[in-house]
Amino acid sequence: MGMFVALSLFAPMPVRAQASLDHLTLIAPAAPGGGWDQTARAMQHALQAEGIVRVVEVENIAGAAGTIGLAHFVSNYQGRDDAVLVTGLVMLAAILWNDSPTTLAGVTPLAGLTGEPEVIAVPVDSPHRDMASLLTALRANPGGVSWGGGSAGGTDHLLAGLILASAGVEPGLVNYIAFSGGGEGVTALLGGNVTAGVNGYSEVAAHIESGRLRALAISTSARVPGIDVPTLREQGIDIDMINWRAVVAAPGLSLAQRDRLMSVISRMVRSPTWQRTLSDRDWTDMYLAGDAFDTFLWSERARVDRIVKRLRSGASATPARGTDWIFPVVIGLAAAVVAFLLARQRVLARRQPGPTTVPVAVDWRSVLWVCAGLAGYLAAISTGGFVVASTILFSSVAVAFGSRRRTRDAAIGLLVSGAVFVVFTRGLGLHLPEGVLGAWTR
Amino acid sequence: MDTLSALSDGFATALTAANLLWALVGVTLGTAVGMLPGIGPALTIALLLPVTLSLPPTPAFIMFAGIYYGGMYGGSTSAILLNTPGESASIMTSVDGHAMARSGRAGPALATAAIGSFVAGTLATAALTFTAPVMAEFALRFGPAEYFSLTVLAFMAVSCVLSDSLVRGFASLVFGLCLGLVGIDPLTGGARLTFGIPQLLDGIDVVIVTLGLFAVGEVLYAASTRTSERDEIAEIETSIWMSADDWKRSWRPWLRGTAIGFPLGSLPAGGAEIPTLLSYALERRLSKAPEQFGRGAIEGVAGPEAANNASAAGTLVPLLTLGLPTSATAAVMLAAFQQYGLQPGPRLFAEQGRLVWALIASLYIGNVMLLVLNLPLLRVWVNLLKIPKPLLYAGILTIASLGGYGLNQSVFDVAVMYVIGLAGYAMRQARMPLAPAVIGVILGPIAEQHFRRALAIGEGSPLIFLTRPLSCALLVVAVVLLIIPFVVRRRVPPLA
Repeated sequence: MGMFVALSLFAPMPVRAQASLDHLTLIAPAAPGGGWDQTARAMQHALQAEGIVRVVEVENIAGAAGTIGLAHFVSNYQGRDDAVLVTGLVMLAAILWNDSPTTLAGVTPLAGLTGEPEVIAVPVDSPHRDMASLLTALRANPGGVSWGGGSAGGTDHLLAGLILASAGVEPGLVNYIAFSGGGEGVTALLGGNVTAGVNGYSEVAAHIESGRLRALAISTSARVPGIDVPTLREQGIDIDMINWRAVVAAPGLSLAQRDRLMSVISRMVRSPTWQRTLSDRDWTDMYLAGDAFDTFLWSERARVDRIVKRLRSGASATPARGTDWIFPVVIGLAAAVVAFLLARQRVLARRQPGPTTVPVAVDWRSVLWVCAGLAGYLAAISTGGFVVASTILFSSVAVAFGSRRRTRDAAIGLLVSGAVFVVFTRGLGLHLPEGVLGAWTR
Repeated sequence: MDTLSALSDGFATALTAANLLWALVGVTLGTAVGMLPGIGPALTIALLLPVTLSLPPTPAFIMFAGIYYGGMYGGSTSAILLNTPGESASIMTSVDGHAMARSGRAGPALATAAIGSFVAGTLATAALTFTAPVMAEFALRFGPAEYFSLTVLAFMAVSCVLSDSLVRGFASLVFGLCLGLVGIDPLTGGARLTFGIPQLLDGIDVVIVTLGLFAVGEVLYAASTRTSERDEIAEIETSIWMSADDWKRSWRPWLRGTAIGFPLGSLPAGGAEIPTLLSYALERRLSKAPEQFGRGAIEGVAGPEAANNASAAGTLVPLLTLGLPTSATAAVMLAAFQQYGLQPGPRLFAEQGRLVWALIASLYIGNVMLLVLNLPLLRVWVNLLKIPKPLLYAGILTIASLGGYGLNQSVFDVAVMYVIGLAGYAMRQARMPLAPAVIGVILGPIAEQHFRRALAIGEGSPLIFLTRPLSCALLVVAVVLLIIPFVVRRRVPPLA
C-alpha cells in the first residue's frame, strides 16, 4: 500500500490562491496514452500548475476514433460548463466514416490547440526522389503504388486520397494499406514493404534524420523551420493539411458560459507551462479561438466530407476492398461445418447412451444468485457507483456459494471494493464511477 | 569490450539506493496489476505517465521497466491458482498450471513460472544487450506476407490444445474466430457484425473475452456444481518447492521458451501470445508423454512462461533501436520517452547512452528483484486457495468486473463480458476447451489483416506468400508440422 501513497505524492499540487474556476473535467475520447489523452493530460497539468482551475480531472472514454466519447459528451453534458471535450481532425473523419449518429454540429466550438504536420516518405533505396516521380508512377498504375499509414479513415488515409485527387486519379482507387497504430506501418515502410508512407512527422522524424527514409513532401502550407523538406504546394500539389487537435464545449451553452471557458483556454495557452509543453513535445501551436476557429472547423468539415465520400464510393476496385469477404466467408463455412458435426455427435450419443452422457446435476439456485449479482452490478454501477455495485455483486456471489453470514459478506465486500476504489482512483488516477458516494467523498 | 563497459556504467547509474527503490516499486506494482485480471502493465504505465512531470527520466524508466516485467510475471499467478489469466499471454499457462494446482501442485507450478521468468528475462535481456541492432534488422524483414505465414504456423500449433475431441476443440476455435470478426474492418474502415451498436465498432477486446470465458464462466460453473460431486482442488502437498524431477523437466523448456520468445517478441506487431502458444506446442511435441499435457505437465508451464517474459524483452529491441512500439506497453513507454523530449530510435543510444544503459541495467536488477520478491511470496499465494469459497469466488468476480470496466471505462464492456461468461459456462457444460476460443480471437484478426495487406501489396496475387523466402520457409515448416503426425503414426504400430 505504501507505494500508492508514494506515487500520489507526485500528483501536481493545485495552486489554490488565484484559481478562477473550481472544477473542470477534460474528456479524452481515447484510451490513456493516445494523442487525445496526452493533450488532455498536458492541459490538466498546465491548468492546475498555473492556478487557472483548482481541480482538473481527465476522463477517458475510448472507442471508435472518438465518436463514443463524443456521443457520451453530447448526451450527458448538455448546457453544462464544467466539462470540455478534446477533439480533432480524426474525429471529424470518423463521424462520417462510421455513420455516427452524433456529430459535432451541436457542440460549442472553443479553440484549436495543437497540430502535427504529415510527411510523405519512401525508403532510401526507392527510385522516387520527389512527388513528381511518385505521381507519374501513380498515374501509370494506381494499384502499383501502395501507401502505408494509420487506420482507414484517419488523417493519413485522407491525405493519400487528397493527393490522388489532385493528381487527377480517382481517390477511390488508392491502394492504401492501413496499419493499426504504433510502429507497424513505419516498420513496413522501413522494410520496403510499401511504396510510400504517409505518417505524422514525429513518427518518422528519427528515420529521416538517420537517412533510412527519404522525405518527399511535408503537408504544411509553408516550410517548417528546422525541417528541410519541401511542401506539397512547392511541388505543384495544391493541398495542405495538418493533424489538428482542439477543445469543444457541450451543446446549449449561454454566451457567458462559452466566454468563461474560452478565457480559461486562452489563459492556459498563453501560460509558460503550456508553451514549454508545446516545445518539449514538438507540437505546432495552432491556437485559434472564437469565430476564426468556427470558420476553420466548418471548412475542414466540408473538405473531409468531400474526400471521405469519394474514398468510400469508388473504392470497390481497390485491393484491400476486394478481399474483405474472404475471412468472414471462410469462418462462416467453418462454423456451419462445426455445427453440423456437433449436431451429429449429439444424435449419435443419444442413440448409444454411454457412461459419458450422464448429466451433471446443476444447482440452478446458485447459478441464478450469481446471475442476479451480475445483473445488479450492471444496474447499479452507473447510478449507485463502483463501490455500491461491487458490494452487491460480492454479496450475491457469496450467497450463491452457500454463505449464511450475509452481514459479514456485505461488510467484506464493502471493505474490498472501497479499498480498490481508493487505490485506483487516488493512487493511479483511474476514473471509476463515484455514484452516491460522490458528494460524500469530495 | 565497448558494450560491457557501457553496461557497467549503466549498472553504476542504476545501482543507487533511490533507483533501487523505484525498481522495487515498479516490480511490486507490476506484479500486483499483472495478477489482477484485466489491469495490465500498459494501462498502469499510461495512468502513471503524469509522474514524468515530476520525476527525472532514469528513475521513471527504471520503474516502468519494473512494471512491465512484473506485469508479465504476475499474470501467471492468477492463471495457475484461479484459472483466470491476468493477461492474454498467460492463457497457455492456465491450461497446465491450473491442472497442477488442482492436483495439489500449485507450489511447483508457481515456482517454475517464477524461476523460468527469471531465467528467460535475464537471458533475453542479455540478448537485448548484445544483439539488439542485429535483431532489429531481422525484424524489418518481416512484412505482412511473413507475418501471415507465421500465423498459419501458429494455427497449426492450436491443434495441441484442442482437447480429446477434435470437433469440440474446433467449435471453440471457430467461436473465437467469429468474435474476432466483430468491429471495424481495419483495412477499409467498414463496420462488420456490429448490429448498429457503436460500442462494438472497435471489436471485442481479447481481455473481455478472456475474463468472460475464464473468470465469469468459471464462477458460474463452480456455482452450478457446488452441491454435486466435482473434482475438488486437492490439498496442497507438503512441499511447495520444486522437486529434483521438476527441475529436470523444467530447465530445457525454459531455454527453448526463451529462444522462441525473444526473436518473436521483437517482430513488428509482436506480442506474447504467439510465442507462448508456439512454445507450448513445441514442448508437447518434444515430450515423451504428450498425453500429460492438459492434465498438469510442468513443461507446459515452464516453456510458455519463459517465452512470455523473453518476448517482453524482445519488444524493447524495436522500441529502443528504431523507436517502433510493437506492443501496447511499448507504445505507452514510447509516449513516456516523448514526454521527456526523447525520441527512441537510431540515435537514442548515441545521444542518451547513459539513460539507455541504465534502463538495460535496471532490467537485470528488476529480474533479480522479481525473483527475490516472489519466491518468499509463493507460500502466501498458495494460501489464497484456502480462502473460503464464497469469499474467494465473490472476490474473483468483483476484481474481474473491475478489470472489464477499467479497460475502457465502459459499462457496455462489462455487459459483453458477462454474456461471454454465460457462453463460457455453456462451453464448460459441453466439455469444450476454452483456450482455442481466446486464440481464435487473437489470431483471427491478425491473420486476416496481414493476409489482405500482403495481397494488396502484391496487387492481388497470392504468389507473394511463396516468392518471399522467409514467408515461404515458414509455410513449409507449417506444412511439415501438419504432415509429421500422419507419417509417424503410420510407422509406429498402435498399441493394443
